[in-house]
Amino acid sequence: MELEDEIFDDGLPKAYYKQNDKGQYVLEKKANAPWAEKVSCSLIILANRANLEEIRNAVLAGQKSPLCYYMEMRQMTPGMLAKAAGIAAFRVKRHFRPEIFAKLKPSVLNRYSNALRISLEEIKIVPTI
Amino acid sequence: MNTELAVNGKPFVHQQGAHCETGVTSALFRYQGVDISEPMIFGISSGIFFGYLPFMKLTHLPISAFRSKPGSVFRKAAKRLGGDFVIKTYRDPQKGMDELREVLKTGQIVGLATNLYWLPYMSERHRWNFSGHNIIVIREIENGFRISDPTIGDLVDCSADGLAQARFVPGPMNPRGYMYYTKSVNPHPDLRQACIKGMKDSCNLMLKIPLPIFGVRGMRFLAKKVIKSPDKLGFQEACRHLAGTVRWVEETGTGGAGFRYLYAAFFHEAAGLFGSDELADMSKEMTAIGDNWREFSVTAARIIKQKDKEVETFAKAGSLILQCADREEAFFKKLQKVVGKLKA
Repeated sequence: MELEDEIFDDGLPKAYYKQNDKGQYVLEKKANAPWAEKVSCSLIILANRANLEEIRNAVLAGQKSPLCYYMEMRQMTPGMLAKAAGIAAFRVKRHFRPEIFAKLKPSVLNRYSNALRISLEEIKIVPTI
Repeated sequence: MNTELAVNGKPFVHQQGAHCETGVTSALFRYQGVDISEPMIFGISSGIFFGYLPFMKLTHLPISAFRSKPGSVFRKAAKRLGGDFVIKTYRDPQKGMDELREVLKTGQIVGLATNLYWLPYMSERHRWNFSGHNIIVIREIENGFRISDPTIGDLVDCSADGLAQARFVPGPMNPRGYMYYTKSVNPHPDLRQACIKGMKDSCNLMLKIPLPIFGVRGMRFLAKKVIKSPDKLGFQEACRHLAGTVRWVEETGTGGAGFRYLYAAFFHEAAGLFGSDELADMSKEMTAIGDNWREFSVTAARIIKQKDKEVETFAKAGSLILQCADREEAFFKKLQKVVGKLKA
């Protein structure tokens, strides 16, 4: 099965408006998504996955902190994470450096874990596959 | 059949719709005994719109909205059709969930705005950080809620925890537990008056906003950006931006071609209501514009797949958007004249 079909084979088909023979509009339920939609959606999802994988490898290589990985996983930007956690954006960006992230107090980590909805144990490491 | 009883024993029939918010609004009205279709709600609440927001980004892609602001559909429809309705937001998640439970106990069904990323039953292709997805909660069940999501064919269950997360996302994307329901509605709404109001409002939104990112001018702005994008961003990145635009046209519950087919269906219904041939012609014109948008998305997909590289270029995709802009400008200018002649 191709990736495009795999992403769209999730059991949640959408409905589309189509014209019938008499020129009236009817809702076609459980229809196949248009080809253009499949192509562009899978491109975006693939790019996101590749981006996430790249960051995971950077974390394992010690170039970035796990915080960066989890932020990307939740599809956030540093600005959004800063507002969500109540920490200034420049501090959030600073915490992307692994040596600084390793020294963080539990109270600061707690704020991040609430904002990202990830437990305190998990936030210190990234999954190794 | 997808029928579910609310707390007070009143049956609620789940119908799939193309778009979340219009589907929810028409279901709320249907539950109160006013039979009104999804396209009708879309037209009356002037849901059609265009806005290109390059400074707001979701997953690193700019937003191009083909509909009016989330939340405005229910508000405008309820105002124009008449009735007693409640709209609320909360600061405290606990209070928001408690009040939801209390309202459900009185036999109401409640519309909610939620974040797509956090809804537990969504699949990967729907999961992105957008806080304007609307759903209906029918009643509370053990450890969760029974939910009717108009973009999905069947009723679904959702855990209470997951729903609370989706309603209260920390940070700037927070929907703040946005909740709305109708207490009572006008049993015989004046559809003709409401239609006229909706059409006039749509004309103003599309033609008269004096900012270059909204309405017809916004489309031209987007077209220019698309034409320049391969030089500015490089081919790969330009493809991703183009794919992002196509997702707004086709994927986000639009019913195909950026709501244009849905709007054509509205004109088809309105033509029957007013007995006007002009409106029937408008419906055909809107369909043609919808086909034009579809053509754009197919061209975009061919660019991404690198088929016929000489013919399918970014310049062609941009010129298709410009074509859409010209046709829609003519369409709404004509609509202004046609609406003036209609009598409520």
